[in-house]
Amino acid sequence: MNLRIGLVGLVMWGTVNATAGIANADASEDYPIPNRILKTTCTAEQIMAAARDVEPVYYERYMIDYDNHSQQIQQATQDQIHWFFSMDYAGRRAYSEELAANFADPLTVAWPNHQKLFFNSKGVAAHTTDTCAKYPPDDQSVWNW
Amino acid sequence: MRSAKNIPVVLAGLVLGIMVVVAGLAVAWPARADPDTDFANQLHGDGIYGQKDYNAWIGKITCKRLFSGVDTDAYKSAAFLTANLQRGTTTEQAWRFLDAAINTYCPEQTPVLQLAAEQR
Repeated sequence: MNLRIGLVGLVMWGTVNATAGIANADASEDYPIPNRILKTTCTAEQIMAAARDVEPVYYERYMIDYDNHSQQIQQATQDQIHWFFSMDYAGRRAYSEELAANFADPLTVAWPNHQKLFFNSKGVAAHTTDTCAKYPPDDQSVWNW
Repeated sequence: MRSAKNIPVVLAGLVLGIMVVVAGLAVAWPARADPDTDFANQLHGDGIYGQKDYNAWIGKITCKRLFSGVDTDAYKSAAFLTANLQRGTTTEQAWRFLDAAINTYCPEQTPVLQLAAEQR
């Protein structure tokens, strides 16, 4: 009887481990940065213009937050987002790995949500990357809202 | 004896005072109404539902898009609303939403609606 309980426990432990393993593999492809954002060819400005049309409340709240930070933080945010989108898939994926490992830079400390519009929601990323290509790539007016 | 006689007078004064305060609150109430609630009520009157907070955000953003020139006419506003209101929203409901949003949050944009009506 005890042997049977032990075997059942062993099987359950194995199942839990296997499930966790699969979850981790998925997470590295889509978390913390959604896969759509890792692979898109759109610029930050195209993503933002799309968000303004298809995720208007999400965009509005991000821009309110952005406007509540100093000009220095705003510029640093723009620079970092531009840097991110200038990289290819491999570079973005490597950065995603760094974020997953609790990487924190001074900008993240100053404004923890500075990447929220781009990275925080798979649903938002799916909607924005669906339509971003139709917007102009260098329209900086999307930062003034 | 004298103080016992004064009790009804004091009570009457107290009641009168409370009535004045209540009447004052009643008069002041409409002026302090929440525009988001007014907006929701107007939408419900038009048969448009959905989350109150979300609709208020969308109403205000619609105005902002007109002010900033992202939407250059009422047709563009209506298209934005059709895309962002809950599924199943008809074209007519999108226009009613636009009318209510402008009335509530940016009445100075009313000419945009008038222009669209004249073009029809």
